[in-house]
Amino acid sequence: MASTRTKNRRAAMALSVVVAAMVGLAFASVPLYKLFCQVTGYGGTPKIKVAAGDSASTRQIEVRFDANVNKGMPWHFKPAQVHVTVKLGEPKLAFYRARNDSDETITGTAVFNVTPYKVGPYFSKIDCFCFTEQTLKPGQEVDMPVEFFVDPEIYTDPNTKDVHAITLSYTFYRSEPEDSDKKAETAARPVDGKSNIKG
Amino acid sequence: MAHAEAHHDDHHHPGFFTRWFCSTNHKDIGTLYLWVAMFAAIVGGLMSWYIRAELAEPGLQLISNDAEGKQFYNVLVTGHGFIMVFFVVMPAMIGGFGNWFVPLMIGAPDMAFPRMNNISFWLLAAGFALLLTAAFIDGGPGTGWTVYPPLSSIDFHPGRAVDFGILSLHVAGASSILGAINFIVTIFNMRAPGMTIHRMPLFVWAILVTAFLLLLALPVLAGGLTMLLTDRNFGTAFFNPAEGGDPVLWQHLFWFFGHPEVYIIIIPAFGIISQIVSTFSKKPVFGYLGMAYAMAAIGVVGFVVWAHHMYTIGFNVDTRAYFTAATMVIAVPTGVKIFSWLATMWGGSIKFEVPMMYALAFIFLFVVGGVTGVTLANASADLVFHDTYYVVAHFHYVMGLAAILAMFAGWYYWIGKMTGRRYPEGLARVQFWFFVIGVNVLFFPQHFSGLAGMPRRIPDYPDAYAPFNYISSVGALITAIGTLLFFVVLWRTYTSSEKVEANQWGEGATTLEWTVASPAPWHTHEELPDMTGKAPAE
Repeated sequence: MASTRTKNRRAAMALSVVVAAMVGLAFASVPLYKLFCQVTGYGGTPKIKVAAGDSASTRQIEVRFDANVNKGMPWHFKPAQVHVTVKLGEPKLAFYRARNDSDETITGTAVFNVTPYKVGPYFSKIDCFCFTEQTLKPGQEVDMPVEFFVDPEIYTDPNTKDVHAITLSYTFYRSEPEDSDKKAETAARPVDGKSNIKG
Repeated sequence: MAHAEAHHDDHHHPGFFTRWFCSTNHKDIGTLYLWVAMFAAIVGGLMSWYIRAELAEPGLQLISNDAEGKQFYNVLVTGHGFIMVFFVVMPAMIGGFGNWFVPLMIGAPDMAFPRMNNISFWLLAAGFALLLTAAFIDGGPGTGWTVYPPLSSIDFHPGRAVDFGILSLHVAGASSILGAINFIVTIFNMRAPGMTIHRMPLFVWAILVTAFLLLLALPVLAGGLTMLLTDRNFGTAFFNPAEGGDPVLWQHLFWFFGHPEVYIIIIPAFGIISQIVSTFSKKPVFGYLGMAYAMAAIGVVGFVVWAHHMYTIGFNVDTRAYFTAATMVIAVPTGVKIFSWLATMWGGSIKFEVPMMYALAFIFLFVVGGVTGVTLANASADLVFHDTYYVVAHFHYVMGLAAILAMFAGWYYWIGKMTGRRYPEGLARVQFWFFVIGVNVLFFPQHFSGLAGMPRRIPDYPDAYAPFNYISSVGALITAIGTLLFFVVLWRTYTSSEKVEANQWGEGATTLEWTVASPAPWHTHEELPDMTGKAPAE
């Protein structure tokens, strides 16, 4: 029969392991959260698929395009087409146009989602400019492609069969480029150029 | 027994520094926690009175009409919240009453790890110092106690205030985690012979459940805080959407901790109330097992309802339906407790001593606060109530009224045991009425302001909200008088020459602390009491 001292130490060890496990879970929540959204399409997370399946259908759906920039991102950013009508299962190519209106080279990354949120699992992007950073020189304008398709299952799922239009939305943020020379130029600064809080 | 203890004391009487800075005595450490809690209550209270003074009338009177003034207001709101939760209620109930009475009630001579107990206390003191420092540097943390990014990110809170706040919480969190380990091991391994788990007083059950909640919830807060710290200072992007992060992640992590935290606040209060209602009804608590396992159930279910703090972020209707239902479920074990306290009093011989007056006020006012919680649990209704004064009224009723009343109840109940002195009866009753009337006048009108749409965390408001705000501020004044009276009671108790007997409360007081002298000797239960064959001591 172990002494009280030993039993106490063993109990404390076990409880410390629990504490460490909970900290681990908190950090694990980051990739777990991403994984969960990607697998389930929760919150309007579109899927990323290498190629469309061959279950094309004659049904059509309207896809609308939305573009935004974050405050402090001096780019002109608009979809090249406001909306397209696409057959379910058929891959479609659409474009966004971006122009750097400032006098410095700026790198941006785009975040995206689809609405209504519930169609996330059925909207798949095959190729997208959002997969990589985009760097534009002052005044440079580019057309950026996104290739996607809508899964025909969207009409067999009772939750989503009422959907007639999907909106794909992008927001461009300024980001630090991979190139380290540029890092000093794009060092963190308050978003609107000045801070309300006295440092 | 008394002779042995006196003999022991002669042999080792530590000096002041050793006794109070290097303590390994659960009673002294409990006392230290109670003093810190009382000091912090004054600081947190002053912040709240400043806020109520500003809000008494529309327009800005005390807060200057510029960015600095408004930042200062936000810092007051933030500081008030953190101080009351982390440095008043938790230290008083868990560190203070928990340390004092858990070993006494289970027949143990001290806690399992007496030196770690001391570290827990000094970490708390350090955490409090860090929080106060945070308030005074670089404009202070004006984020609210919820610290949401991006407001708490480096872009919107440059400077070191939020970083000091994060450090303060890390340190206070470590204090509580170590304390939780100490309580769990003590309660599992060091009960006197015959004191089985199902014979422990309900206050000990309460501390046991609370300790488990601390163990599981605080590390998640620590993880989130670390992520915020690295986002702010080391270039990570956990919460920054521009680089693939998500501010909602912070909300999930914070509230996964934050919801169990409010049960950590209230469950020890439930334990104190069980002891007091039983003592002053001269009856064991009705349904001991129901009471014990209701606390455990509240603790467990409390871990799966966190998103009821996040109904407005735009998640799925089915998810909102789940969280609404799960949150409502907690009302069931809570109701079991309320009805059990009533059933305890039914048929009992009730004496309206001051601790019992506080306990009765607790039961009634906790129900008031609880039912507004049920209203808020509804995701659809919450879309209107979120971030309004309705929420402020709700959580102040359950924390600022109920939990504080339980703390006063515990103080009045146990102060004779801790100091050997009697509190002044008449003044105590006056103090009770000032405080209880004060907090009700303070917080009840806030339900109406909130229903009328008044937002939270604002220093000024449209004229239409003026009447309820004025009444609420008058309530704050009455509460301030009630608080001042408490400190007069405290002083009169300490300077009183009236001594109290070992069992101040008579036959209703059946737990082990009433079998030792008042004040409790420095070392107790050096020979373990034999509890075999005794009934559950509630």
